[in-house]
Amino acid sequence: MPGVVLDEVRKVFPGGTTAVDQLSLEIDDGEFMILVGPSGCGKTTALRMIAGLEKPSTGTIRIGERVVNDVSPRDRDIAMVFQNYALYPHMTVQRNLAYPLRQQRVAKREISRRVHEVAEMLSLEDLLKRRPAQLSGGQRQRVAMGRALVREPKVFLLDEPLSNLDAKLRVQMRAGLKRLHGRLGITTVYVTHDQVEAMTLGERIAVLSDGRLQQLGPPQEVYDRPANVFVAGFIGSPPMNLLRGSCRGGRVRAGELEIERPGVPDADLIVGLRPESLQLATDGMPSLEFRVDVVEPLGDELIVHGSLAAELVAASGEEPPEATLSGANGAGLEAVARMSPRERPAERSVIRLGIEPADIHLFDARTGVAIR
Amino acid sequence: MTARAERIRASDQRPALWRRVLGSEHLAGWAFVTPAVVLIAVFFLIPIGWALLLSFQANNLLAPGHYIGLANYRALAKDPQFRSAIGHTIVYTVVFVPVSIIGALGLAVALDRRIRGISFYRLAVFVPLVTSTVATGIVFLWLLDPTFGVVNYLLHLVGLPQQKFLQDPNQAIYCIVAMTVWGWLGFDVIVFLAALQSIPQDLLEASEIDGAGKWATFRSVVFPLLGPATLFLVVWSTINALQLFDEIYVTTRGGPLGSTTVIVYYLYEQAFQFFNAGYGAAIAYVLFAAILVVTLLQLWIGRRRVYYVS
Amino acid sequence: MFLIPVAVIMLAPLVWMLILSLETSSEAQSFPPVVLPSGPHFHNYVTTWNSEPFGNFFLNSAIYSLATVVGNLLFCSLAAYAFARLRFFGRDVLFVVLLATLMVPFQVLLIPTFLIVKHLGLVDSVGGLIMPNLCSAFGIFMLRQFFRTLPIELEEAARIDGTSRLGILFKIVLPLSLPALATLGIIQFMWSWNDFLWPLIIIDTASHAPLQLGLATLQGAHRSHWNLVMAGTVMSQIPMLIVFLFAQRWFIRSIAFTGIKQ
Repeated sequence: MPGVVLDEVRKVFPGGTTAVDQLSLEIDDGEFMILVGPSGCGKTTALRMIAGLEKPSTGTIRIGERVVNDVSPRDRDIAMVFQNYALYPHMTVQRNLAYPLRQQRVAKREISRRVHEVAEMLSLEDLLKRRPAQLSGGQRQRVAMGRALVREPKVFLLDEPLSNLDAKLRVQMRAGLKRLHGRLGITTVYVTHDQVEAMTLGERIAVLSDGRLQQLGPPQEVYDRPANVFVAGFIGSPPMNLLRGSCRGGRVRAGELEIERPGVPDADLIVGLRPESLQLATDGMPSLEFRVDVVEPLGDELIVHGSLAAELVAASGEEPPEATLSGANGAGLEAVARMSPRERPAERSVIRLGIEPADIHLFDARTGVAIR
Repeated sequence: MTARAERIRASDQRPALWRRVLGSEHLAGWAFVTPAVVLIAVFFLIPIGWALLLSFQANNLLAPGHYIGLANYRALAKDPQFRSAIGHTIVYTVVFVPVSIIGALGLAVALDRRIRGISFYRLAVFVPLVTSTVATGIVFLWLLDPTFGVVNYLLHLVGLPQQKFLQDPNQAIYCIVAMTVWGWLGFDVIVFLAALQSIPQDLLEASEIDGAGKWATFRSVVFPLLGPATLFLVVWSTINALQLFDEIYVTTRGGPLGSTTVIVYYLYEQAFQFFNAGYGAAIAYVLFAAILVVTLLQLWIGRRRVYYVS
Repeated sequence: MFLIPVAVIMLAPLVWMLILSLETSSEAQSFPPVVLPSGPHFHNYVTTWNSEPFGNFFLNSAIYSLATVVGNLLFCSLAAYAFARLRFFGRDVLFVVLLATLMVPFQVLLIPTFLIVKHLGLVDSVGGLIMPNLCSAFGIFMLRQFFRTLPIELEEAARIDGTSRLGILFKIVLPLSLPALATLGIIQFMWSWNDFLWPLIIIDTASHAPLQLGLATLQGAHRSHWNLVMAGTVMSQIPMLIVFLFAQRWFIRSIAFTGIKQ
C-alpha cells in the first residue's frame, strides 16, 4: 500500500508562477523520502500540498488510499515540522507537546503518557517546564519533532528542519533522525536544499528543479547514474566538472580527453568528470592537462582548483561564477579535483589528470539527458 | 627643567578651561534640553505642584485664595453629588471598556483578511476616529433625538417602542457609551490588527495541522499572543474613560437630572462655573489618584497573566 | 459577512451629517427623517459660515495645530537627542522626572495652567492655546526611543569630520527619522485640531476660538437649526477627513505604533 502519492500535480500561484509542474511521485509506506533541490525548485510547495496548506491547481494527492485534495490538514493524519519550528511561544514545552492531543480530545492520562514517552525518546524530560524562548536551537528542534511525533501520524513532513542549526549539531541530528525513523517506521517526506543531507538521510531522493522532477532513486544510484546534467551538477560536492565535447564516429572528445564509446551517436556532448574520480594520470588512462591554481588541504584529502585543457560549461540554470581574483585563464570556469595528500600537486604546476573510462559521464548537449 | 616650566608645558597640551566647558557634552546636553525642560517645568511640573496647593485652598480664580487645610477633601468625602459623579463615571467605564475592546477584537479578526474590498471596510471602521468629540456629540444628539432622530424611526419601523435616549436619566449614560464606542472603536481595531498581523503565519498553520479548528486556534494560540495589545488597550481605554468630558458637554451638560455628570464634568462645573477652584483642584487630585491606582492594579494583574514574546 | 452592517453603522452618522446639512431647517426635524433633501440647499453652508466667524475658527485652529506641531517636533527632537546620545549631568534623573509627568492627567493641570496663562496675559488668545502645548514628554520619549535605534556610527563619523552636535542632529539624525517625526507630527496635529476642553477654558471671544470650540458655539447658538449645525459640523470635519484619506497609512502607523511600543 503506498504511503503518499502525487499524481500529475501542478501548482500555479496567482500572479502566474508555476511552482510545481506535473509532479508525479509515489512514496512507499514507511519510506524516508527526500525532496531536494535549489531554492525555488518547488519542494516546499510540494510538501505544503501534501500537508494541505496549499491546494494543487491540477492533479491528485493521495495519502494511503484516500484522495485528500479537499481534505483539510486537520483531517489528514499528518504532522509537520516547520523550518522555524513554529513552537507556541506562550506555552511550556509540555503544553506544546500536549497541544495536538488536546485538540483531538485524547484522554488526559493518555496525553500524559504519550508526552512523557516522546520526551524521553528525544531527551526533553528536563525541559518540560520551560518555554521555547528559554531553549537552544537544537532543543527547540527536538520539541518541534516531539510535537509532531506525539500524534503518531501516518505521514511525517519535515521542512528543512536542520537548516537553522550549526554544523556540528546538524550532523548529530541527522543521525538522530535516521535512528528515529528506523525505530518508528513512519512514512516521512523531508525537504532540504542540502544535497549532503539528502544523500545521508534518504532511502530514496527526488531531485527537483523548476518545479519538475529531475530524478528519483536511491542516493547511490542518483550519484552513480545522474539522469541529466542538472542532477549531475547538483549531487556531489564539490560539483561535477562539466566539459564541452562531442562525439564523432564513436569517438568522444572533450579538449584533450579522448575515449572510445562505440554505441554513442554523433552529437554535441557535455562530458562530466567528478572531482573525486580525477587522479594523477597513469599509462593507458584517458587524461588531460591540468594547471594547478589553488590547493586546499582538508587533512584527509586535498581540494585542487585549476584549469583543464578543455572548455568547461556551467550546469544548466547556473550563472557562471564571477571571474576569480586569481584571474585564472581569463573568464574561464575552474575545474576541481579531489586528491590524496600523498599526491601533493604544487600550485602553479602543470600535471596530467586521468580518469577511469567507466567514471566518465556523457550528456547530450542540447537536452542535458544522460547517455549511457 | 624647573617644576614651573613643567607645569606650563603640561597646560599647553590641554585646551583652555573655558573651551572645555563650552565644548563639553554636559553643556551641549543641557543646551539641547533647556527649551523642553523650561516648557515642561512651567506647564507641567509647576501646575502639578500648584494644583496640590490649590486643593488646600479656597480659591475663586480671581482673588488669591487662602489656605484651609484638608477641608476640600473632607467636603468631597461627604459630597453626595461627587459620589454620584463617581458612580456615573464607574458605570460608564465598566460598560465602555469591555464593549469597545471585545467589539474591536471581533472586528479586527474580521478585517484581518485579504478579500476584495477589505480596504473599504477597514476605512469605514477607521474614519470615525478622525472626527472630533464635538462632532460626534452633535451628530449623535440628532441621531438619538426622541422626536426626529433616525434611531427612533428605525425602532418605529420594527415595531419597538420609542425611547427618550439622551433625555432619559436611565438611558443617557448608555447613549454616551454608544457614541464614544463609535468614535473610538477604530483605535482599538488598529492596535489589534497590528498585533494580529505580527503573529507568524507558521504558528497558525502548525495549529491547523495539530488538529485545531479556527475557534480553537483563536482561543489557544491567537488570543494569548494578543495579551500585550489587550492589556495596553484595557489600560488606555480605562484612563480615557475616567476622563470623559467633551461628549457630555456637547450633548447633555451633565443631565438629565445629573445622570451624566461624570467626574471631570463635575470638576468643570465646580471650578469654572461656580468658581470653586480649590474644590476643583481637589477633585482633580482624587481623579489622579484613582487613575493611578486603577492603572497600577491593571498592570499588576496583567503582567502576571500576559505572555510577552521576546 | 457581518462586515457590511458594521460598515453601515460606522459610516451612517457621517452620511446623515451630510444629508442634514443640505436640508431645510424643518426637514431636518421632521419625522420620519427626510433622506433626500429638497434642493439640495447648498446655501446652508454660506449661511452657517456667516452666522459665526468660521474663517477665524479655521485660521485659529490652523495656527494652533501648526504651531504645536512645529514646536513639538523642534523641542522634542532637541531634548530627545540629548537624552539619547549625550551624556550630561543629571540626565537620567531628569528623564525619569519628565516621564513621570506622563502619568498625570490633564485635569490636574487644568486650573493652574489657566492661572499661569492668565498671569502671562495670554487668556483668550491663540498664544494661550499654544503655549502649554509646545512640548510634550510623550514626544520626547517617543523620539528618544527612535533615535536610539539609529546606527551611532553615522553620527560618530560626522563628529570626527568636525560637525557640531547641532549639525549632526539636523543634518544626519533628523533626515533619518522622518517616519518617527511624521508619526509625532500627525498625532500632535490631530490632537490640537480636535482639542476642545482647553480652548473651552481659555477662550471667551468667538473670533479667537479654534474650530471645535467654534462648532460647539454654533450648536449652542442655533440649537434648533439642525441643518445649519450639521453644515458647520461637516465643514469642521472636512480638513481632518481629507488629511486622513490622503495620509491613511501614516495615521494607521502612528496609532499602531502607540500600541506596539509596549
